[in-house]
This record gives sequence, C-alpha cells and structure tokens, in this order.
Amino acid sequence: MRVLIVDDEKLARDRLRELLNEIGGHTVVGEGMNGNEAVEKAAELNPDVVLTDIRMPRMDGLEAAMHLMGMENPPMVIFTTAYDQHALHAFEVNAVDYLLKPIRKDRLAAALDKAKKLTLQQLHEINQAQESPQSRTHISVHLRGNIRLVPVQDILYFMADSKYVTVRTTGEEHLIEDSLVNLEKEFGEKVFLRIHRNALVATSYIKGIEKSTAGNWQVALTGLEKKLDVSRRHAAAVRRWARR
Amino acid sequence: MAFDTSKIAALSLQAREQLTSSARLLRDRLLPMMADTTGRLLRLFAPAPATNGDDTHFLPNFCRGNAVGGIVLIAELLAIVITLVTRRISENLFQDLLLVSLFVQWIALSGAATLCAARRFLDKLPNSRALGFAYLLLLVVVLVVSEAAVWILWLTGSVSSPRPEWYAYFHIQNFTVAAIINALALRYFLARHQLRQRTLSEARAKIEVLRSRIRPHFLFNTMNIIASLIRSAPDKAETAVVDMADLFRTMLADSENLVPVGNEIAIAKKYLDIEMLRLDNRLRVDWHVGKFPRKAVMPILVLQPLLENAIQHGIETIPAGGTIDVQLREENDVIHIKVTNPLPRLRSKSAAAQMPSERTLDNLRLRLESHYGKAARFEVTQDTERFSVAVEIPIRGETP
Repeated sequence: MRVLIVDDEKLARDRLRELLNEIGGHTVVGEGMNGNEAVEKAAELNPDVVLTDIRMPRMDGLEAAMHLMGMENPPMVIFTTAYDQHALHAFEVNAVDYLLKPIRKDRLAAALDKAKKLTLQQLHEINQAQESPQSRTHISVHLRGNIRLVPVQDILYFMADSKYVTVRTTGEEHLIEDSLVNLEKEFGEKVFLRIHRNALVATSYIKGIEKSTAGNWQVALTGLEKKLDVSRRHAAAVRRWARR
Repeated sequence: MAFDTSKIAALSLQAREQLTSSARLLRDRLLPMMADTTGRLLRLFAPAPATNGDDTHFLPNFCRGNAVGGIVLIAELLAIVITLVTRRISENLFQDLLLVSLFVQWIALSGAATLCAARRFLDKLPNSRALGFAYLLLLVVVLVVSEAAVWILWLTGSVSSPRPEWYAYFHIQNFTVAAIINALALRYFLARHQLRQRTLSEARAKIEVLRSRIRPHFLFNTMNIIASLIRSAPDKAETAVVDMADLFRTMLADSENLVPVGNEIAIAKKYLDIEMLRLDNRLRVDWHVGKFPRKAVMPILVLQPLLENAIQHGIETIPAGGTIDVQLREENDVIHIKVTNPLPRLRSKSAAAQMPSERTLDNLRLRLESHYGKAARFEVTQDTERFSVAVEIPIRGETP
C-alpha cells in the first residue's frame, strides 16, 4: 500500500518508516509534519493510507482526517498517539483504529491489513469526546481534486448564494459546499456574526457599523473596501453586538 | 338539624385539613430542623470534614452481621459496667448481669434493627441531618423498649402496677445513659468516616501530583523516540535512557528537597536534552545564568516545569519551533528565574484544548506558596507573540 506518514517528531516518522520497510509490501510516498501538510500531501500524492499523530501544531490529526474525508477518494486513516485518554475511549466506541506509541511492529502490520475508510460521523463523535471539543481551525476548499486550506482566522466573511457559500479572505475568494446555518452553529456568534440572511462576518474584522446614505445599516470590515449590508431583521442584533 | 350535620362535617373537614397540614409541617420542616440541630450539636467537636472526596454515608451498614456483632459486643461491655457500678437488684451478681444484659441487648439490637430499616431513608439525607435523625431514632427506641419492659414486668406479675414508684426514675435513667452512649457511638462513626475520607483524598492528591510531574504524553513519546534511536543511533539512545532515569528519580522524590541552584539547572538540562531529541531542531534554548553564591538553594523541580510549560504550550505548537529564553540570576538574596517562549499564530484544536487548564503552572505556584508563603513571587505575562513566567524566591530555603 502507498503510505503517507504524518508526525511532528522526526524520529517518530523514522521509526514508522523503518517498521514499514521491515513489514514489507508497502511504500512510503511522503511525510508530513502537521495536519495541514497531511491534507495537502494527501491531495497531491493520493496515498492509500495516512498514518497520523493526533497532537500536532497548527492543525491536529483529527481535524486533518475530517478534511481528508471531504476528498473525492479519501484515503484510509490510522491514528497514532502517545496518550490521549479521552480520544482513545472514543476510538474504541467508534471502532476507529489507532496505534499506541511506542509502536509495535505486529500491531502496525495488523492495522494496515484491516485498515478501512472512516466516516465523518465517526470523526465528529471522536471530536465531541475530546476534553473540550472545538470548531475547525481551517476550512477546506476543493479545487479539481486539489485541496486548499483556509485558516479560519483569515476569513472576513461567508456569503451564501443559491447553491454555494463564498469564503472571502483579504486576498482571495473561494466557493465551498457548506451551509451558513452549519457554519453559524459550528463557530458561534463570538467568531462569526449573522448580519443578513445570506451573510456571516468575522467579528474580529469588524471595524465599524454605520448608516448608509440610503438609510440602512452597513458593516465595515478591516481590509475590505466594500461595505456589507445589514438586513433589517438582523439590525437590532448587530447593534446589540456592537455596544458590547 | 340537617343544617347542623353539614356544619359539623365542614368543621371536621377543616380540622382534618389543619391536622394534615400540621403533620406535613412536622414532617417537612420541624423534624428535619430538629435533626439538623441535633446533628450539628453532635458535630461540634468533630474534626473539620475532609474537603474533597465523595461525601458517602458515614453510618456502617447495620443490616450486616459484623456490624451487628460489634454492637452486641459493645452492649455487653456496657452491661458489665452497669452491673458493676449499680446497686444490686437481685440475689447475686450474675443474675444482675443477666437481667441488665438482656435489657441492654434488647435496646441495642432494636436500635440496630431500626437503623437498618431506616438505612434507605438516612442514606438520602446530607450527613449532618442523617446524624441527627439517627440519634433521635435511637432515643425513641430507648423510650419504647423501656416502656415495654415495664409492661412485661407488670404482665408477668413482677410489679403490682404498670406505673411502679421507680417508673419515672427508670425512664430518666435509661434515657440519659442512652443519650450519652449514642452520642459517643455516632461521634465515633462520624470520626471514623472522616478519617477514611481524608486518607482517600490524600492518596488521590498524591497520584495527581505524580501525574502532573510525569506527563504520560511525554513519557510515551520519549519511549517511542528511544525505540527509534536504538536502531539508528544506539549511543544517543543510551544517553536518553540514562537521562530519563535521572529525571524520573528526581520526579519520584517524595519530599520538597532543597538543592543547590546548579543541581536544578543540571536536571533541567537533562530534561531539555530529551526534548531536543523529540523536537529535533525545532527547540532552541538561550541560557543566561548569572553567578550564584554557594549557599543559594531552591526546591527541586521549579525550573523544569517552567521549561515543560514553555515547550508544551509554545514550541510544540509552532511548526518551525522557536527559542526559549531562560534567565537565572541572584540579586539581594533573591533568586530571579524567568522563562520566555514564543506563541503560535495558529493553534490546533488539541493544543488549544490544553490551554485553559495550565496545570503545570498552577501546581508550581501552589508549591512555591506553601513553601515560602508571601516571600515568593510568581508572575505570568503574555502578549500575542510571547509568554513568560517570572519566579522570585528567597536564596535560602527557610520560610520567613
């Protein structure tokens, strides 16, 4: 099988590579150091299996697996971990395979033999079982079989039209298949504020709320010239937020 | 006449309502209040209850044979004491003992049976109220049994009336003795319960301290790294194992030993050597160590947890790693320690989840407080890019 190894510790990656060599029949197609690299390299290299650590900088293994599941042909995922009490229990409950460090050769071989694809449902449940479940740190944008990861903290607003949701950062615009309702639920109004039936704006980028010449309220965002309309229905809530 | 009967019916209904409402008042308000007050009185001289740990019920299970056996034994001892100190009531001492034993055992076993029957009810109450209720129940048992004893004597013809001349004295005597003995017994059960609770919570606290010192995540990751090194670089693996042994020996040390500053730096460096294997070139450390007089001592494991925190919440969460700045100097008989680490721009979920607890730092702050009181200073400063902890402790170990 074609394997992608992801761990932030170099020696941990070396060990997996060596064990895979000894087991035989597998090729290591690449290595990554964090969740972002796991997703980007998986899209680029199309591995059969991703062996990933859970605790990693920037994006952790669990979130990386969630983004991977959005791929057209998602790889199988096996988690490796030193010690995560809460996660381990969730893995057992959801029948998701994991390897404990220090990793044993026979356990690794067995896990590769019976590796299977995960479902988003399983991953959500594992996430809920963490000590404090959190929202995603990145939004994945799928472009012709490729994946772009947009850090949530770079996002100015989400704007919905008939079928897609537009994600706007200072420099870019992407289309994603998600709903504003889901996004609103995931991140909460501390992070994204609903200003219109079709728009969620990042609270950290709100520069001011002003009245336009036409008489309706508008939101000005840092790094964006155009101002966004506040619908009459949401005006009260937006002004309440501004006063806080 | 019809008018009158309806009036009587209304009056009796009213009376019944009043009765039920006062019964309810008695049940819901007065009895619990009485129990609470009694419980509190009994608790007056009790040691302070253990703060944490479950507040499980303190009364032993009187439905069980060994608890009842204990009661029988104590009752018999009490009977012997009573027989020896009271005036003779029959021809010889053994007959006295037999009579007294019979009576005391009767009260004791009835009491145990009552508590056994009331166990479900008592278990639901808070400890203080349960204590009061148990006490009141036992006193009621004494009254009932004493009264029954007099009646039995009358029915068997031993006394001429159900109200012999010693009737009042008999009741007062039994009630007073029971009040004292029951209070002592319940106090004993409560104290035993509290002692057990305290032992439990102390054991738990010890485990907690050990676990916060030896982070399982660090332990297993390092083992994994050593397994990897055994193949590629056996000499490095050997050094790592020896360093780990030294580090663990220090962490497992029980007491708050004071060590020269140099020793503390040495153990911190061993810890960093291990972390450097793990984090490779992502971890860099700048040491700024001043001169220390030979008398300068500090508690073990003050510097190491600061470094651990800097790695766990700083370096480990940044893909490219960073530099930890460590400053140690002595000024006016005070040891100044400052550890600064960079913070990540983006925090992954699992790293963010660890942030709020800050267990390592909290433990250290508490330890320094208990060791030095107000003479130690512990200060955390943070901006968007850097996080630093400054610790100041007196150069000598003794508390001011």
